Amino acid sequence: MSEIIEDKATTNTVSASVNAAVSIESPLHYFLGKFSGMAQAKKGAVGLVVEEAGLRGHLNLRGNPQSELFTAGVEQVLGVTLPLSPGTFETNGDNSIYWLGPNEWLLIVPGGSEGRTETALRQAISGHIAIVDISGGQTLINLSGEAVATVLKKSSGYDFHPRHFGPGRCVQTTLAKATALVSKKADGSFDLVIRRSFADYLASWLLDAGREFGCRIETGQR
Amino acid sequence: MLTRRIDRGADNGKPIYFRFNGKRYQGRQGDTLAAALLANGVDIVGRSFKYGRPRGIVGHGAEEPNAIVQISHGSQTVPNLRATQVELYEGLEANSVSGWPSVDFDIKGSLGLLGGLMPPGFYYKTFMGSKKIWEFSEPWIRKAAGLGRAPVEADPDVYDKLNQHCDVLVVGAGPAGLMAALEAARTGARVIIADEQNEFGGSLLAATQTLDGKPCREWVSQTITELSNFNNVELLPRSTVFGYYDHNFLAILERRTDHLGPVATTGVRQRLHRVRARQVVLATGAIERPLVFANNDVPGVMLASSVSTYVNRYGVAPGNKLVLFTTNDGAYQTAIDWHSAGREVVAVVDTRHNPKGEWVDYARKLGIDILDGYGVIEARGGKRVKAALVAPLNREGSAVTGPPQTLSCDLLASSGGWSPAIHLSSHTGAKPVWSDDVVGFLPGESKQKERSAGAANGTYSLLGCLQEGARAGAEAAQQAGFGTDTSQLPLPKFTELQEQPQQALFLVPHSKRTSRAPKQFVDFQLDVTAAGIELAAREGYESVEHVKRYTAMGFGTDQGKLGNINGMAILSKALGQGIPETGTTIFRPSYTPTTFGAIAGRDVKELFDPERYTAMHRWHVENGAAFENVGQWKRPWYFPKPGETMHDAVNRECLAVRNSVGILDASTLGKIDIQGPDAAEFITRIYTNAYLKLAPGKCRYGVMLKEDGMIFDDGVTACLGENHYLMFTTTGGAAGVLAWLELWQQTEWPELEVYFTSVTDHWTTATVTGPNARKVIEKVCQDVDLSNDSFKFMDWRDGTVADVKARIFRISFTGELSFEVNVPAHYGRYIWEKLIEAGREFDITPYGTETMHVLRAEKGFIIVGQDTDGSMTPQDMNMDWVVGKKKAFSFIGKRSLERSDTVRENRKQFVGLKPLNEKEVLPEGAQIVNDPNQAIPMDMQGHVTSSYYSANLGHSFALAVVKGGLNRMGEVVHCPLADGRNIAAEIVSSVFYDPKGDRQNV
Repeated sequence: MSEIIEDKATTNTVSASVNAAVSIESPLHYFLGKFSGMAQAKKGAVGLVVEEAGLRGHLNLRGNPQSELFTAGVEQVLGVTLPLSPGTFETNGDNSIYWLGPNEWLLIVPGGSEGRTETALRQAISGHIAIVDISGGQTLINLSGEAVATVLKKSSGYDFHPRHFGPGRCVQTTLAKATALVSKKADGSFDLVIRRSFADYLASWLLDAGREFGCRIETGQR
Repeated sequence: MLTRRIDRGADNGKPIYFRFNGKRYQGRQGDTLAAALLANGVDIVGRSFKYGRPRGIVGHGAEEPNAIVQISHGSQTVPNLRATQVELYEGLEANSVSGWPSVDFDIKGSLGLLGGLMPPGFYYKTFMGSKKIWEFSEPWIRKAAGLGRAPVEADPDVYDKLNQHCDVLVVGAGPAGLMAALEAARTGARVIIADEQNEFGGSLLAATQTLDGKPCREWVSQTITELSNFNNVELLPRSTVFGYYDHNFLAILERRTDHLGPVATTGVRQRLHRVRARQVVLATGAIERPLVFANNDVPGVMLASSVSTYVNRYGVAPGNKLVLFTTNDGAYQTAIDWHSAGREVVAVVDTRHNPKGEWVDYARKLGIDILDGYGVIEARGGKRVKAALVAPLNREGSAVTGPPQTLSCDLLASSGGWSPAIHLSSHTGAKPVWSDDVVGFLPGESKQKERSAGAANGTYSLLGCLQEGARAGAEAAQQAGFGTDTSQLPLPKFTELQEQPQQALFLVPHSKRTSRAPKQFVDFQLDVTAAGIELAAREGYESVEHVKRYTAMGFGTDQGKLGNINGMAILSKALGQGIPETGTTIFRPSYTPTTFGAIAGRDVKELFDPERYTAMHRWHVENGAAFENVGQWKRPWYFPKPGETMHDAVNRECLAVRNSVGILDASTLGKIDIQGPDAAEFITRIYTNAYLKLAPGKCRYGVMLKEDGMIFDDGVTACLGENHYLMFTTTGGAAGVLAWLELWQQTEWPELEVYFTSVTDHWTTATVTGPNARKVIEKVCQDVDLSNDSFKFMDWRDGTVADVKARIFRISFTGELSFEVNVPAHYGRYIWEKLIEAGREFDITPYGTETMHVLRAEKGFIIVGQDTDGSMTPQDMNMDWVVGKKKAFSFIGKRSLERSDTVRENRKQFVGLKPLNEKEVLPEGAQIVNDPNQAIPMDMQGHVTSSYYSANLGHSFALAVVKGGLNRMGEVVHCPLADGRNIAAEIVSSVFYDPKGDRQNV
């Protein structure tokens, strides 16, 4: 039974194209374009840096955390331990796994590797699982700078104070009138995973919130 | 005449110029507007609401009822600020909000216009009586009596909100609040301390006390420095905690730039802090109670503590000859301060017989005259107090016992004791408790995680405030998980005079009875008098809440901060009962008026609500689309060419699809990926029809019902592989459907192994539809056999479209041959442009939601939420074919389809309407009747759900729900419209175009 599931699902995975003639646009492609020609705040006066790390591979994973086969399989494929504590994430730099719910995780992998990752996962784990490529539907943006804490306070009712939300923590919460998966990195900056259709709205919101501190928006590494 | 400024040498602030009611004045840096007006001898700052009586500054803080001003002008004007809380800045312009034509000459005051026309209960009687009276009265009441004017232009200032979390929130930075914050801070707890004033210190700012042998201001600044050094403490001056809500949620309005004036600033004018606090310390202080005596509203009658504050804090002496009228020891400080400032204290008039103790002795030692057992029964003077009429009182203070005498004075300060500022504690629902000792209401039993300390708790000695504050801070921190609950910090060393008991007195008797005596004001803002309250009691109003509404006591912008307690006490006496039995009115947010801008924050203009964009959005913008809001999505509505009206564009788009090919951005449709061994079983239970036999590569249309049997969503579900499905939902229903699936899986059928994941944003959908659709797709897709034999209607295929892996669905919402091309959204715009390029030779026409609606309506395809309204079953919609009768397990809503009401005859049914006049388009929502000439109320037969002009049909048409409509084909019904027209239409089939459905199968 499980074998059939794997095969069918793998067949239907739509992986990133490699043809150079195909143009590809991250969710903030146009928003970032608006700022490319404009003078942005100078380095010294920047309290907030908004950086899109677009076009990564995003996979939604569902499965039973009680199954050792499942947890071990995920770890084997991604080289990252599957986080089982609520509101935490694990990363090895390339691959990251975010806890979203008792049986739900978000995997972020280098752009273009999502298809391979899905195939490998389906080979490594069996039973009742679901793996869904959602790379086109969301993007990752990093917020850094001295004003990040205040900008988050302006945007969300969640308590991001270091005592409450240290490095390695993540939470799905409201951000302005949209939602985001917010995580705190070891370097003190915050990653937000936001939905594509809300990306322009949220980027506008964040720039507005950061305006009083001076802010800059840019494209990060793919 | 002595100058009103007290020379403080180096502490004199630098001169600042400002305007009040058009006249230029000089003030000093550090003044409030009120202090500067008093320094300039401005006695009259407003006119009273009903009687037009001249009014002067009474207080020095939030309690001020008279000095209500409009600041600035134009778009940045601010109405109804208290001059006592407005910090002076260079160029400030302020105007009284009352008084017409001016405060110095008020027409009401001259004619006594409103007094006779507006007895107590005027509003009550007007509102409860005829609507016409209010409609007649309102314009002139507002003109003559109204307060400030709202700006008519858009507000150029920026406001925002900050969501805060803390362990301990301390409200008020007087002696109790500062100690509480310090104690909590040292435990490491996250502390926020907020105070409405521009500087911390509260009562200490105006105190002459020394602490540790130094002026108390030094202790205050030292404490502020200490607090600032903690990185776990946030200090918020100019910040009013105006509301205390459920779950220890409090709202603070921080005024960040108001004190700088309406300067062009890129910063934030006001910030709303939304605070979730683990523990709260309320150290909000107390408000002095004025004594109620005849003509107590004449300018120059002030609160005793306010006189001290102007003298000690601002260096302003608001007069020369003071009569101090008191029922307590504390107010003696004012006489002492006045004396120390080198001014004449005419007398202290103390209602107590033979008062003793340290305060009285100290005053006597300074040579101050004390008239004990006396009361000021009346103030004399018109635009400024000229004298106090004093008379001996009995021990209870209830009657005048001898002839009055006149004391000449130009300042009359009064103190009837203090009322703890229990507003915030009351917001939580804590019921205030009367205390005879304190002569005031104390905070009631805590309903939330809060405690009160200091004057807010009825503790008025400085030592008591410091001790209570320290204790409250330590306790709050400990209960939030920090430190031990004992205070550990040393208190400053000092001595203070001990106070003897005060006398409880709320209405000073007059030689004449209340109704005959000159007006004794209780509520200055709304001109409520003691006589008015007694009248209310005589008219039968027993509840304090009723009396409040009857007399309007406490209804002003000051919410009765000065008058309410006196009013309740006077009512109690009139009713012959105690104050606890009468109780108090309930305080509600806001403590002081709060700017709407701050409540809106940044959720304005383009940030008001999210605009959701598809991956092709920019193309639509560049190609001149008109947009329609569908939920939060911006969807192209139609694509007008130069010179085209909407009607032209839609007709062109409709014809293009039916005659050649069109392309639609359908990306907003909800998409849910469903995986698991029980996926098919689950979907079969959710939809009315069966999915168990749906093979990979196939699609099926389904309708889902709520438990009541009514349609709530529809869409196509495709089988992607064994145990793997993709469900399309309506654009607006996407989130609701996902929640619905999760609800049933998690709570009702947890045994079914199935997972759902939203992929709405991941996939972009371009629908290519029309007779030439296949020819377009053929040009960009080589690896799929697109022939009708191999790729049938309701099939889907994996394929490569313009070098991008895609899923192609042969499903149709137009009734034409259609291919819906789905690619990950990163490729959305690229694919869209490739398809348009490929379709150029067929004049491929991008179309929007309006054309989509017309085309589907021509086919009789429903839109859930437009043609249905939550009360329609599949049978009502003539869709019995979609209901599976032989499913092994039931489906949601099935049982309800057999209820007597759902099977009855004459339910509204889905039909087509063809207007007899082919050019006339029925308005959507039009009501349908059989006979347009019948009497109103007419017998309603149904309503129009969708209505358009069809370029393809060459006539207008509509979809409608009509009682028993499916059996009434050919009947003519009528839609009488609000504009008097009547549109007659024939009931026809809901399918207007290609009834056999041949075109989608080619």
